[in-house]
Amino acid sequence: MARDFRQAAHLPNLREDRQPASPEELPRQRNGVTPQMHGRYPDFNVVDEIDHWDEATRRIVLERVEQAPPIRFFTTEEARTLGAFCDVVMAQDREPRIPVVNMVDAKLFAGQLDGFQFDDLPDDRETWRRVALGLDAAARQHGVREFASAPHEVQVRVIGAFADGELHGEVWDELPPARAWSVVMRAVLSAFYSHPWAWNEIGFGGPAYPRGYARLAAGQRESWEGAPAFERDPVKDTQGRGVEGT
Amino acid sequence: MTSPHGLRTLLRGAVRPPDNDSAFLLDVHRRAVPRERMARYDDAYPVDLVIVGAGAGGATLAQRLARRGWKVVVLEVGPFWDPDEDWVSDEAGSHKLYWTDKRIIGGTDPVELGKNNSGRGVGGSMVHYAGYCPRFHPSDFEVRTRDGVGEDWPISYADLKPHFERLELELPVAGDWWPWGDPHRYPHTAHPIAGGAEAAWAGARKLGIEMRVGPVGITNGSFGNRPHCIYRGFCLQGCKVNAKASPLVTHIPDAIQHAAEIRDGCMATHIELDDSSGRVTGVRYIRGERECFQRAEAVAVAGYSIETPRLLLNSTSRRFPSGLANGNDQVGRCVMVQGATQVAGRFPEEMRMYKAPPPEISSEQFYETDPARGFARGFSIQTVGPLPIEWAQHVLADGHWGMALREYMRDYNHWYTLGVLCELLPLPENRVTVVPEVCDQNGLPVARMDYTQCENDRKNIAFAKQTLHDVFEAAEAQDVLVIDRYAHLVGGCRMGVDPERSVVDSDHRTWEVPNLFIADGSVMPTQGSANPALTIMALASRLAERLDLKRVGESGSRRRRRGERQRPVLSRSGGG
Repeated sequence: MARDFRQAAHLPNLREDRQPASPEELPRQRNGVTPQMHGRYPDFNVVDEIDHWDEATRRIVLERVEQAPPIRFFTTEEARTLGAFCDVVMAQDREPRIPVVNMVDAKLFAGQLDGFQFDDLPDDRETWRRVALGLDAAARQHGVREFASAPHEVQVRVIGAFADGELHGEVWDELPPARAWSVVMRAVLSAFYSHPWAWNEIGFGGPAYPRGYARLAAGQRESWEGAPAFERDPVKDTQGRGVEGT
Repeated sequence: MTSPHGLRTLLRGAVRPPDNDSAFLLDVHRRAVPRERMARYDDAYPVDLVIVGAGAGGATLAQRLARRGWKVVVLEVGPFWDPDEDWVSDEAGSHKLYWTDKRIIGGTDPVELGKNNSGRGVGGSMVHYAGYCPRFHPSDFEVRTRDGVGEDWPISYADLKPHFERLELELPVAGDWWPWGDPHRYPHTAHPIAGGAEAAWAGARKLGIEMRVGPVGITNGSFGNRPHCIYRGFCLQGCKVNAKASPLVTHIPDAIQHAAEIRDGCMATHIELDDSSGRVTGVRYIRGERECFQRAEAVAVAGYSIETPRLLLNSTSRRFPSGLANGNDQVGRCVMVQGATQVAGRFPEEMRMYKAPPPEISSEQFYETDPARGFARGFSIQTVGPLPIEWAQHVLADGHWGMALREYMRDYNHWYTLGVLCELLPLPENRVTVVPEVCDQNGLPVARMDYTQCENDRKNIAFAKQTLHDVFEAAEAQDVLVIDRYAHLVGGCRMGVDPERSVVDSDHRTWEVPNLFIADGSVMPTQGSANPALTIMALASRLAERLDLKRVGESGSRRRRRGERQRPVLSRSGGG
């Protein structure tokens, strides 16, 4: 089904339930990888551009694609709970997934913190551990044993309450949920959107040194930047690429 | 020559700054600052001045005084960057540019630190600032008199104007003719703007809001051995091109050329005081595993609004049991941030806001007090260009996660973002203190920053936010997303005329220690709605002039060089 992205009707704020349409209606990624393989730039793979990047940037970005770091900071139980949390909060319901919990774990294991700690929270590392306990506690309030194996609807309700600062009891009596949410989401979003697969999904041109960007006007793009799929007529496109009937 | 069409306009960009060869001392093909021949001073040798911190204040002061023959050592905790090797076109990979040691934040409206406002390494926070270099307005120096809020400065706009002009040539600053504050021109012409900025500008125009392009410390045309900007968009991750101004490329090369030593990897831990004379004798610091002590005739602290108060508060002695120069309990007070709410608008066309430098257009039309708005002082409007991680934070702040967040993120290329800088007022309870029970890896108590807005602050932010909404509505944006945040840091050791209400006098000298100076943004009594970098540099530039001309009374080093070994402790007249 074609969608016109000149219009904004797909945006959650403009929809009654504040939820987007299913991403399953988006095209499958044809070049490279996006998380769950959907996106709006199916032929754009930012990793194709690495020969145009400087060496230092290439090294640091490719490391992220090549391997998911092993879990070294979280315990097995924590990693299971927090892995489920990261998947649901980033809507990663199937492979390929960006290994968010592994990336967060690596950062915490290395002690790479962000330079500030709220006076009513512990150290970020301890906050993460308590959030793991708190997610299980909140899941139990919904009558299930733990967060990781809870039904999807329960996970969504727990996370929704977390986002709204509306978790109470046990861990949450000592851990202000709204602040803890900001701490964990800062790390989750930094991990997810540092990954080139996420750049493919959103059509971000990525590193551009030493090449630079030259086409700055509205609607313009560099020759190597990805075209949104919906600018093309799907019938002509499949005919043109000779993939008719596949 | 005063006409906008005069000779100076024709020569725009060809004017070489006087007394600063930095841009010509850089290598044409490598970005690293050449320092093979940098002077090295022995710790035991009492240099004329030791400066703590190689950022906007410290580096400018070092360059100015080194030019005038002072023997200067700058201690910098972070590394001497090699942009080719150390910096990347990548948000997450730029973590090391920020001050990430532990700090505690409190108050009703706590301020996130780290990458938002705290630098580390030679060049300081200007390595990762966006590049905006507006001047303060003349009114900023007398807000108490004009508007009945905040504090008057002990100096005026006229005191800083020649330094603003000189620094604009040195950075150099590019921008349109500037109609606000003290109207002025810029040495480099304005950069091109992207489609998003044009759309937002169209909206502003409908509302009668004037915008201008710039002012940014980014070369528009070659400048010495610094090339033209390539519009790569990663200004906040350190400029790999050397097009964006930071002290690393604008002042450090010339300082080195004139025998200043920039000693990196040095964490200052204590400023030593001679209890009998009441003068400081030098700075204790840790380099690697080793504790060292650099002797000096005078000390200038330029560690910015958190680390400067922290170093003073941790430098206790018999004479100053609650921290150096803190006899009146003023150190750390009146620390300020600007309200920096951002509103993004959605457009039918792709805007791809990651291209071009984030600073593009700005307006200072709302800078001054307008009684009709119901609060004192005002705000400025500037464009910002969040990269994906920052954009994700923006979407999250609007209340989205999961599928909704992913959908907004996929829509990234259709958005454009404006931000405000609201002048928030100096309040004594907004303060940097130290936490004795929490120490860093060197065993030093960490800093704590408490921050709470006052009623005027909240009204200012609410009005500014509504203005951005109005601009995007007029621009026919299809949807908007809002994030409330802060930007910049100043104050904490403010200058004044009364030792009971300030830490330093108008010459940056601490009231209580005659050879101890503060040379960074922490001396600022108010902050205006301007990004602080240019003003911090201008203050340091003026301080250097005052020190060298001995207008600040005695300067130990100058006397010593002339063989006058006796250095009377300066007596201060009045002080109020």
